[in-house]
Amino acid sequence: MRFVSHLDMTRFMTRMIRRTDIPVWYTEGFHPHLYLTFALPLSLGFESTYEVMDLRVTDDDYDMQQIQPKLNAVFPPYVQVFAVAEPVMKTGKIAYADFSIVFEDGGALTEPLKQFLSSPQILCQKMTKKGIPKEIDLVPKIFSYDISSSEKGTLLTLTLPAGGQDNVNPTLLLDVFFQEQKKPFYAVTRTAIYDDQHQLFR
Amino acid sequence: MDDKRLEELLLTVQKPGRYSGGECGSIVKDKEKVDVRFAFCFPDVYEVGMSHLGMKILYSQFNERDDIWCERVFAPWTDFEEVLRREKIPLFGLESRDAIRDFDFIGFTLQYELSYTNVLNMLDLAGVPLRSADRTDWTPIVVAGGPCTCNAEPLADFIDLFFLGEGEESDLEVIDLYKTYRKQGKSKQEFLRAAAEIEGVYVPSLYEVSYQEDEKIAAIIPLDGVKPTVRKRIVRDLDQSYYPKQFVVPYIEIVHDRAVQEIFRGCIRGCRFCQAGFIYRPVREKSVDVVNCQAKTLCERTGYDEISLSSLSTSDYRGIEPLLDKMLDWSQKTGVSLSLPSLRIDNFSEELLEKISTVRKSGLTFAPEAGTQRLRDVINKNLTEEEILRTCRTAFAGGYTAVKLYFMMGLPTETDDDIRGIADLAQRIVDEYYHLENRVKGKAVAVSISVANFVPKPFTPFEFEPQITREEMLRRQQVLRDSIHSKKIQFSWHESKTSQLEGVFARGDRRLGAVLEKAFQNGCRLDGWDECFSLEKWQDAFAACNLSPDFYTTRQRSYEEISPWSHLDYGVTKKFLISENRLAHAGVPTPNCREKCAGCGAASFGEGVCFEKR
Repeated sequence: MRFVSHLDMTRFMTRMIRRTDIPVWYTEGFHPHLYLTFALPLSLGFESTYEVMDLRVTDDDYDMQQIQPKLNAVFPPYVQVFAVAEPVMKTGKIAYADFSIVFEDGGALTEPLKQFLSSPQILCQKMTKKGIPKEIDLVPKIFSYDISSSEKGTLLTLTLPAGGQDNVNPTLLLDVFFQEQKKPFYAVTRTAIYDDQHQLFR
Repeated sequence: MDDKRLEELLLTVQKPGRYSGGECGSIVKDKEKVDVRFAFCFPDVYEVGMSHLGMKILYSQFNERDDIWCERVFAPWTDFEEVLRREKIPLFGLESRDAIRDFDFIGFTLQYELSYTNVLNMLDLAGVPLRSADRTDWTPIVVAGGPCTCNAEPLADFIDLFFLGEGEESDLEVIDLYKTYRKQGKSKQEFLRAAAEIEGVYVPSLYEVSYQEDEKIAAIIPLDGVKPTVRKRIVRDLDQSYYPKQFVVPYIEIVHDRAVQEIFRGCIRGCRFCQAGFIYRPVREKSVDVVNCQAKTLCERTGYDEISLSSLSTSDYRGIEPLLDKMLDWSQKTGVSLSLPSLRIDNFSEELLEKISTVRKSGLTFAPEAGTQRLRDVINKNLTEEEILRTCRTAFAGGYTAVKLYFMMGLPTETDDDIRGIADLAQRIVDEYYHLENRVKGKAVAVSISVANFVPKPFTPFEFEPQITREEMLRRQQVLRDSIHSKKIQFSWHESKTSQLEGVFARGDRRLGAVLEKAFQNGCRLDGWDECFSLEKWQDAFAACNLSPDFYTTRQRSYEEISPWSHLDYGVTKKFLISENRLAHAGVPTPNCREKCAGCGAASFGEGVCFEKR
């Protein structure tokens, strides 16, 4: 699924939901389409274990507990629903996301990563929304991080700003790091989304 | 193929979803439990190949059998080809990611001539010798089917076995024969010889072609006692024939990203330029209930919210109105929109318009093909100007404001008056709009004319005709451009450089195999893509092989000449094609199959429109 872009994911979801008989709500414009929105788009190349998707049903009395098994029956095994609930927070409240990055390096990158992340400044070029490159320092942006070792190699967990206000993609950080280091195979997984109070986004 | 390494590499190319596989509906089997592995190769990129109905039918049909595992393979885009070559990764099947050179069969579908270099490139990327004669191992056996096999002589040196006509039945017969022969310890040569006995199977190495001094064919000689002519295969009863209940639904957006429901094969019209109108004869329809039921199942299983009815001329389907009533019954409830491509102007009724516009209103597209009545009679596009204008009136009154018209340029007997006629017709449509009382107020009309270059094709009445040169093509385009005086008319045209090449391969002979190989070595591939096509590399290849493209394109062929495809039989007789060619030059149209049988020869298949009650 890491090769499925956000837009493709939305189209995929629409088709999967259409294969069920859940009474979903369609927009009422000139070209009606199934209403569906992801709280926070996921970058191409990442996997995720915590995604939030909004859907509306047309029947207020519809038993929400039916939705999970119905969707899981049509989804492939690598896309599964683990909870269905009424929305608690608005997507604008999203402030942080957790990432877990596994490097298949046999542990070789553990020390260099520690050094890299404890440096006083990590400068990188970031495109502003207007498309102008801007130099920013990533160090104050990193909310927290942890480096440990796993069976496969070095494991880096990161909490970074996410959402509409300020968003830092872990690729920005890794690109700077790999300017100096040989790149092993690594996999990025988003593991959680939070609000500004560090409550899991729901 | 190591999954991790591949996935890492995929992140470095555009649209990795083209190569990752794992789509919903794709079929993964245990390779230890199947007898035959088949690599179904579409020699163009994923988005094009995944839109192709024939591949969907055969993929599902093969995989329905427990002993066969059919996988999909597409031509890589240049960026991924670079990765494959640099990393020495052999071309693999999307489902298993195993190298296809280890499969039993590598099968190509030949949809257009400009994909031929992709066939060679894919064989090369697979690590398989290009020429059949160099493939001494039993497997992989390289096979090909699709419309271009009606003259696949330019590929004869590279393909072990061709399927002529519709493959649903002959494909499986060949696979079964293969299983038997392998079990019995027979040789590949023995297998090919036996396969040549199957109806619809053509083994090119069992036919020898000799040439005269003037480069024309002297004779095509069957070897080892094989049948002198190979007849195409058709499916007799479409209601009983296999149709998929599920499609592989891609993650990335493809060209035709919707469910497709076939309603009939063949075409009753007999437009003289149209190869599809002759090679798919006779017309065979599916019944309304079968179509409706298959379409509904397909939408439910795939989750698509759009379904398109597929045929060569949708409005010629006899049950079109009851079918639409039945389909609208469920499609409106479930939010599925119906799309009806290939409508003809003359039988496009108001009721039909109303039915399609209840769901979604898009632009209207018509194909008058020629600008004057005289030329439309020559090409047998039985369509009058009044019919065109009346349909546009109906459409405008129904709220449409955009009309797209398709034309061809370079048709036999065409003069500058015919070219100017294209602009005149477009202008009259614009005028029609502004004369209409009940048109949509405050909206401008947009008439776009799209002009393709005529390329003469085998098994059409124009197979004898010369193709105009590129210089002449450019001059005629300029004549048209100069005749358009309204800003409401948009003009777009087809690239003329590739038309010549298409013409060469459409009516080419076996000697072109060397040109193809040379062009491939020169780096030609993805020739159908403007950004990849190189005229210079092709010119160099022709020069290196001492062959002139003009021999194949600009030459008038006599009725007596032996064509490279004269040992192939598509039902339509040469006698009929000659008579149609004469009628074309006399400007006499031929009635369609339902009005009056023209005696084309397709009745010999014993099915379809030829036996309908008139």
